[in-house]
Amino acid sequence: MASFNSISELLAQLLFMPMLAFLLGLVMVLMYRKIAARLQRRIGPPFFQPVYDIVKLYSKDTQISHGLIHDIGIVVAVGGYVAAVILLPVPGMDGIADKGGIITLSYFLMIPSLGMALGVGQCANPNGSIGISRALTAMLAYDIPFIIVVFGVALHYQSTSLVGMIDYQQAHQWGIFEMPLLAAAGLFALQGMMGKHPFEIYVAPAEIATGPMVEMSGKFMGGLFVMQSFQFYVASVLYTSLFLGGGANWFEFLLKIFFVVEIPMSISFLFPRYRTEDMVRIMWKWPVMLALIGIAFVI
Amino acid sequence: MSVLDEVFILCALGALVLFVFHRIRGIEKLAVVFYAALLYLLIKMSGLGYGGEVIYSSFSLNILGETLQWRFDAVSWFFAIITVASGLFSAVFMSGKWGESYREKTSNAAYGTLQIALLLNVNSMLILLASGDLLSLFIGWELVSWASFMMMALNPDKQARQAAIKYIVYAMAGAMAFLAAMAYVYGITGSLQYAELAQASAALSNGQIILLSLLFFTGFAIKMGLIPFHLWQAVAYAETPAPGAVFLGAISARMGLYAIIVVLIQLIGLGHLQQIHIPFTFWNLQTVLAWVGALTTIIPTYIALKQNDARHLLAWHGVGQGGYMLLGLMTLNSLGSAGGLLHVFNYATYQAALFMTIGAVIYRTGTANFDKLGGLVTQMPLTFMVMVFSIIGLAGLPPMNGFVSKWMVYRSLLLDGEPLLFVAAVIGTLGTILSVYKLVHNTFLGQLRVEHQNVREAPLSLLIPMLVLAAIMFVTGMMPGLVLDWVASAQLAMGLVPVTYNLGGIVLASGGLDMIWITLILFYGLGVGAIIFYLLGGRAKRVHQYDNYAGGHFLTSRVRYHYSHNFYAGLMHLIGGWYRGSFKKLEQAIVSLVSLLSQLSENMYRSAQPAMMVIIVVVLSLWSISGGIN
Repeated sequence: MASFNSISELLAQLLFMPMLAFLLGLVMVLMYRKIAARLQRRIGPPFFQPVYDIVKLYSKDTQISHGLIHDIGIVVAVGGYVAAVILLPVPGMDGIADKGGIITLSYFLMIPSLGMALGVGQCANPNGSIGISRALTAMLAYDIPFIIVVFGVALHYQSTSLVGMIDYQQAHQWGIFEMPLLAAAGLFALQGMMGKHPFEIYVAPAEIATGPMVEMSGKFMGGLFVMQSFQFYVASVLYTSLFLGGGANWFEFLLKIFFVVEIPMSISFLFPRYRTEDMVRIMWKWPVMLALIGIAFVI
Repeated sequence: MSVLDEVFILCALGALVLFVFHRIRGIEKLAVVFYAALLYLLIKMSGLGYGGEVIYSSFSLNILGETLQWRFDAVSWFFAIITVASGLFSAVFMSGKWGESYREKTSNAAYGTLQIALLLNVNSMLILLASGDLLSLFIGWELVSWASFMMMALNPDKQARQAAIKYIVYAMAGAMAFLAAMAYVYGITGSLQYAELAQASAALSNGQIILLSLLFFTGFAIKMGLIPFHLWQAVAYAETPAPGAVFLGAISARMGLYAIIVVLIQLIGLGHLQQIHIPFTFWNLQTVLAWVGALTTIIPTYIALKQNDARHLLAWHGVGQGGYMLLGLMTLNSLGSAGGLLHVFNYATYQAALFMTIGAVIYRTGTANFDKLGGLVTQMPLTFMVMVFSIIGLAGLPPMNGFVSKWMVYRSLLLDGEPLLFVAAVIGTLGTILSVYKLVHNTFLGQLRVEHQNVREAPLSLLIPMLVLAAIMFVTGMMPGLVLDWVASAQLAMGLVPVTYNLGGIVLASGGLDMIWITLILFYGLGVGAIIFYLLGGRAKRVHQYDNYAGGHFLTSRVRYHYSHNFYAGLMHLIGGWYRGSFKKLEQAIVSLVSLLSQLSENMYRSAQPAMMVIIVVVLSLWSISGGIN
């Protein structure tokens, strides 16, 4: 399982993996908007709309900073994801996925949230702080089922290495067929993890002045936009690696990740928004129950 | 004369000098030198951390045919180096400006007493760690209890006094359990030597082992604040003067873990823990102890989430983090137990740093109450930075050292296939993340209060130990192999298989951990993030905190625009009802029962009831004449 042969290959991966993740994430953002539009009988934005948005946000005249930590928060929010996607194997590029594994990655994914939370904290706006308190509560809600799923999967494959899991699935059978209950619970947790409807009370425009984003203008908002596209990418690739056997080639890989991310996107507009405590309640009930039963089968 | 003798002589000398000269100004510098010298002697013994031979003290005592002896093995040395380093950091912390302000608030004598208390704590812990038999362990145990009590009782505040009294009652109860266990051991083996107990334990029946383990464990668990004995610790530690809280918080309670290692793992033995089933359940002793650890990670952590005072919040986390250590240790495999031990070190670094940051905040603002703080990041940026480093460690996120030890515990639970314990550990970690964000937000982020607008950065004497600790956290997080050397030696001494590691982390065929790579990748990512943020797009303009969205209102210094009270309102809406204070009620019930019993016996003793007494005496004597017990 030599993950890289030479320095140049490693450097290429360090460069290309985040870039690819970003571009694919942008397409996913577009897809999300398109799905929303079609469900609401609109046409939806043109293909390059996410790019236009980022350019627009970065080139705004008004860019308000509330201090160094506000800036660093955005840096960490984006940078944490740049680092995290290097730990996610894609076809032909394992990066240094072997150095970490699934537990490390799960905790790595909290760094961007923490960075954003610190940044929002310095804005000195109670709306933002309330939003963060809700966002962290949401994290507590979806991470418990998610981590149970991760445990079950790692136990099943007897490994925490994502590369190892993918190799196993490609040699045998996809995880979703061997662990259907865990896969279902994982999909449920994924819905919460993406921070979209119906679990988006902490960023919903209609609630407490958009919560964490209240003081984000210009490239600060642009940074969060970039973060969002990474978020889509990471969620879909992680799920694909755990349950759908990763990708043997790029075509298969792309097909899988877009299929995965399409499910929560389609579901998201069918339900009204959950309150924070209702989200915790539903997340701790159904997916946890499914996942625990799933683990019982694995053992 | 061995190095251990030198350590003891230095301890005695230090105590003597400090006791005589404690009122004199400048004694704090001498104290720092003393801890540095102690640390030097421990480094001279550092062979122990790399698989060296046990070092014996040439000093021993003979009492009633029992030989009391003292020695250092790898486990003792591992705990000792953390103890002395914590002592050194606390001493540096209080040697400068903090000490001056404490002197002004109290007196020279009070400051000297604080120094004496710290020194006695360090010394008594070293005596405890060096103990070579059950009796010397018990002596060390009592010394540590009373030294901690002395430290806690220094704060004249009513709440602090009550907490100290509560602590000493708990500690005495623990000591009684310990004493009973010792008496039981003596009754079985006729000796209090470790070797005799280890030998005898092989032949004991299951019931005997369970009783023995229960008595010993109760004694040790009280010191460590494990469930259900967690109520005393947090308030008692939090209310001590800042350097005392730094020291007690960092290491004091871990003496319980040391004793658990010595008695339950080394003497009663791994085999027994794994084989003995608790009657009428599916559990063995190991599982029960692991669950005590798991519950200790959850319950105190969520109590911490509700605290409204930074010191109390941290102290409650201290109780909770003890659970990870026990949980890791009780996996009894090489990875998990290494994780538990490594967590002792890691925890000491960040807990000490956290108490120091709060000490610095109190030094500058006079309060640690969340309702009276906020926005200090602009005034105390370095203190803020140390706190962020430490909370990343406490929450167990990469790249700080807390992540490594927690990862090892998780990974070993995974290897063992323990889903529920794993979930319990993760619930604890997530609660910690919520709670530490509340800590950092309510002290350093949000709106700066008007009265704090002239607050300056903490003085250098407070900053230096904090920054050094932050550096240690980062370096040992990136290169955990540095500490894993010591951990592996300690594991060997405990009779466990040592963990396989390298400088960057853990070597495992089925997915290891390499922190050097992880850290580098993280910094690469942050670098890219910084380039994206700073090089692209327009220039951001810094604005005043009152230049803020307020729904059309204008903000002024008279409007408090800050969210800190009841921080997780949504969550508390759901889980708030679960805080029923059951343990507190249990504690109160026991207190009432004891006071009722004591009143009854007092009444019996004091009341003049001659007829009753005559009847009792007659009945008892008739019973003994007619044959009594036999």
